[in-house]
This record gives sequence, C-alpha cells and structure tokens, in this order.
Amino acid sequence: MPAVSAFLVPGSPLPLLRGDEPPYRPLRRALDEVAGRLADSRPDVLLVYSTRWIAVLDALWQTRPRLDGVHVDEVWHDLGDLPHDLRVDTDLAHACVAATNAMGLRAKGVDFEAFPVDTGAVVANALLNAGERPIPLVIAANNIYHDGPTTERLGALALSQAEHQGKRAAALAIGGLSTEFHRAEIDLSDDHISDPAKDELNRRLFDLLAGGDTDAIRAFLPEFSDRARGDQHMKHLWWLLGASGGVQGATLQAYGPDYGSGAAVMEFTTVSEQAVETPRPGATAVAPGANRGAPVWQAAMRPGRRRAAARSWSRPSP
Amino acid sequence: MPDGVIAGFLAPHAPHFLYGENPPQNEARSRGGWEVIRWAYEAARADLERLRPDVLVVHSPHWITPVGHHVLAVPHLRGKSVDPIFPNLFRYHYDITVDAQLAEAIVEEAGAHGLLARAMRNPAFRVDYGTIVTLHMLRPDWDLPVVGLSSHSWPYWDGPTPDEEIREVDVLGKATRAAIERLGRRAVVLASNSLSHRHFSEEPDPPDDMSQEHHYNDLGYRWDVRMIELLRAGRTREVFELMPEFTREALPETKSGSVTWMFSAMDYPEVPGKLYGYGAAIGTGNAVMGFDLTDSIVAGR
Repeated sequence: MPAVSAFLVPGSPLPLLRGDEPPYRPLRRALDEVAGRLADSRPDVLLVYSTRWIAVLDALWQTRPRLDGVHVDEVWHDLGDLPHDLRVDTDLAHACVAATNAMGLRAKGVDFEAFPVDTGAVVANALLNAGERPIPLVIAANNIYHDGPTTERLGALALSQAEHQGKRAAALAIGGLSTEFHRAEIDLSDDHISDPAKDELNRRLFDLLAGGDTDAIRAFLPEFSDRARGDQHMKHLWWLLGASGGVQGATLQAYGPDYGSGAAVMEFTTVSEQAVETPRPGATAVAPGANRGAPVWQAAMRPGRRRAAARSWSRPSP
Repeated sequence: MPDGVIAGFLAPHAPHFLYGENPPQNEARSRGGWEVIRWAYEAARADLERLRPDVLVVHSPHWITPVGHHVLAVPHLRGKSVDPIFPNLFRYHYDITVDAQLAEAIVEEAGAHGLLARAMRNPAFRVDYGTIVTLHMLRPDWDLPVVGLSSHSWPYWDGPTPDEEIREVDVLGKATRAAIERLGRRAVVLASNSLSHRHFSEEPDPPDDMSQEHHYNDLGYRWDVRMIELLRAGRTREVFELMPEFTREALPETKSGSVTWMFSAMDYPEVPGKLYGYGAAIGTGNAVMGFDLTDSIVAGR
C-alpha cells in the first residue's frame, strides 16, 4: 500500500518564526494548508527524513517515545526559541532498526534525553502536526555516507514496515532545494533566490517532480545536487520516493527563498494502490517505476506562462 | 608579558577523546581509549598554563552556520549538550563563562571587515560538541573565559571548500585579531579540527574497542604526516599552498575553515609547531599541535 499522502517541506525556521514577512508568507500559508491535507489523509504514522539530522556512523532511527524541550536554531537564534514535543512510534521505529540491520546496513535506535532534534523536524512538526492528537513519527537520520538510492531503500523499508504493522503511513521529506545563501546582510523582507541560475534549476526540478517520472527524477537529482548545490544531495527527495511507495505527480504549493536558498512546499500524488507490488513482510521494497499520469502541477504554470490566478505558484518576493 | 594573540593550538574535537577521559560532566562512561591523543592533550595543557592567557577563542566545525559567522556572546552558558552524531558517547553538562565583551568586539570587527556576522545572545542556545571537546581537553577546569565562533562552511561537503569561503575565514581571523588587540586581551586561538576526515561508516561495538581503531586509509595518513612535518618546520606558507590539494585528496576537516581562521588570527607565523601527538579517531587523523608566538612577539617589539 502506498503512503496515504506525501509532502516536501523546507527545513528552515523562517516560515515559522517570520511567517509574516512577505517572502515567507506563501510558504507559511502553504504549510498551513498542507497541515490540513496531512490530517485529512488520516495517517497512523508520519515517516520523516530531515536533511538536518546529520549522522556519520550507522543508520540512526529515533526510538525515544517523546522528544520535548526547547530548540534554538544554529543560525536564527535571535528570532526566538522553538519549543517542541514530538511523539515517536517506537514500535515501528524499532522494527525499522531491525529491518535495516537485516538488509545489511548497520542501524541503531537513538533514545537519549535532551537529544537535539534538528530544526527541520521541529519546525515541520510545529507547523504540520500540532493538533490535539499528533501523528506519531518515525524519524531517520541523514547519514552523510548514504547515497540517494540507499536513502530511497530506507524510505521504502519504513513504508513496508508500517504496512506490516497495519498502519497507514504518510511520507515527509524535510529539506531545501538550491543552497546558495546570501553572503551579505539583507532585510528579511527583501529575501529572494540569490542566483537566477539556481532559481531556474529549482524550477526544472519542479517540472520533473510534477511529471512523476521517477526514473527521470532519479536521473536528475545528482545533476541538480551538483549544479544547484542541492541540500544534502537532495536525499530527502530520495527518501520520499521510497517512503511514498512511488509518486505520479506533484503539486507545487509554494516556492520561495530561505535567505537566498530555495525552499518549496509540495504535495505529491502517490501511485495508486493497484500499481504497487505488495512487499513481503520485512522486505525492502523499492518504489515502483514511473506512472506517467498527467502531472498535477502543469508546465503551463511556469514563469511567463503562469495563469494570473494560479493559487499554487508563489514568487520569491512580491 | 605581551598581549594580543599569543599562541594557537590545533585541537581536534572527536568526542571519543572526552569520552575516553570519563570527566564527571559527561554521562557516558568508557573504559578509556585514545590514550595517545589524551596524553598529547595533557602536555598541551601544561604549555597552555605557562602561557597564562586571559581568554581562549575557539572556531568549531560543528556549530554550522551557512548564513554568516556567529559568535557566542552570552556571558554565562549552562546546559546539557548531546552530540547528535555520537549521542552514545557525548552527553555533557556544560557551565561556560564567555568573554562577551570580546565576542561583541569580534562581531563588530567582522562587520567592519565586510563579513556577515552575528552575536549569539540567546541563553537557551545549545553549545556544540566541537567547541566543548576542544575546550575541555585543553582546559578541563574551565577557569578561563572563552569565546566560540561558528563555522560558515560545511565540513562534509564532497568538493573543495569554495574559494570565497576560505577568503571569508581568513578575513574572520584578521577581524578576530583586531578585536583581541583592541581590547588588550592575551588570547590563545584554537582550531577545533582534525586533519584527514574520512570516517568509518559503522561504529565498533563497544565504541572503545581500540583494536578497531586505525586510520581510514593510507592516503589520508600520508597527507596528514606531510602537513604535520611542514607545520613542525614552521613552513606555514607551504602548508597553505598545499591546502587545496590536501583538501581534495584527504577530505580534511580543515575545509570547515578553523585552521585558516587560526593562522590568520596569528598572522600566518613561520614558527615551528610543537607536535604533542597524532592518532586516529573512527578513522580520522588527529594532531594536537601548539604554536607559541610569545618569543616572536617580544622579538618583534
């Protein structure tokens, strides 16, 4: 069974801490809308990968039932504290640890008081999962030595373990796009994508994601990472390809700057359930190939051809 | 006694060193390990004591700030720092006195030198393990005020550090020196850096099984030795001429900028470095070295 919903959201705290600034309003509005879409999909668990939780040894999975405290962002410490209270589906997380080891990749659970949950996970949880009945999370670390396909396999593994436990899963990829930050001080109200070439690469990526051709997406992500200095080799998108069970399109809800870098909110259309080969319990299914159904985000909405009233497109600045 | 930047130490920060020490501040317990590096730090501590500095200023690769250069500027920082990478080894209760006046001066000078720089004034901020390990290993009594600087560069980036980022940490070093001299501090600058930085990707079980510790590859080891020999000979200019090639081949942590910052703050002295020790931590190459400028400062005056 594919994920019941799948989303890409930025790891930046700016839409949360400064969501009233014009450049971040579209991102914030989209995140608020996506929170509703996530809740409407009624997942039992949210499969989370944030580029900002860095690991170098082993594949790490959060196994602490509750992660609460106050986080302060490493860069935006002057904009306020980030209180958080994340709930983890420990049964599923432990199953993921076991399944990761079984597939030949060393894995460990992480269960430590005061563990510094990364800004991306904190912000996404605050904006998307702050209801009275928060969705339990499974959170995997970004091991810098894992490549994209390995990360996709980990996402698929998490989805298959959720299905094995009879749980409806949603997939969440937390991270940025191009990563060229401004080097000089700017007013946040003037934030914009710092480099037009990287802006164009971001938009090319949106086209591909909207098209839902997963082979083409996989082929482009390394090039995008090199040319746009993509956030952590864009492994959050590889995760999403696996944890969603496959995508057949995407809707761009908002695109904007993160102090010069690129940030987007996208909702993915997962492949239909019939198109997914049901994985064996404990197996590590890889997302199925392309389903070339009509993309939800149309090329006609690209700059210069955009419909004036298109809701889903947001310019970096007014 | 002269003031200004009186010395620098290359002081790597693998949490394994502190874990091996078993200080009361750290919750994790070990059976020891990494003794060669820990003994090196013992000797470095004695030399640091003889220098009688007013303040220790450290640049850490693990306070990663892709936007700007940031400086700890809260007079007193207290809390628990759990390493997100090695939480099983490093869960440290810190109690740090910051020379906030110097921190603010560094931010001012960095701004005046054209850098995007910010003072970190949020008391709830968690201090990173790179800052803590280096400071603890050199001064476990924590009886000197400190200033911590962030790294603007990503230490794990596959490619060489972009030239503009190297230029920025060079300028940051100059700004640091200007602030120290303006306030008349006797400061020791610390580069919290390993040399070759390719890690193992799996952790030994137990983590302090020293039979599993070795350099990740021969290439990294040989590059480290080459750079150490140059530093021991005081051939600083050659070190920085080789830095791009070193960065490409050995994937060193120097790409985070700490070594460049330290040498810039010291004005790239051609003084022989004192090697206290060199060893591996989960495959990375770690040298503890000191660069005493007091003789050259006195001679220069």
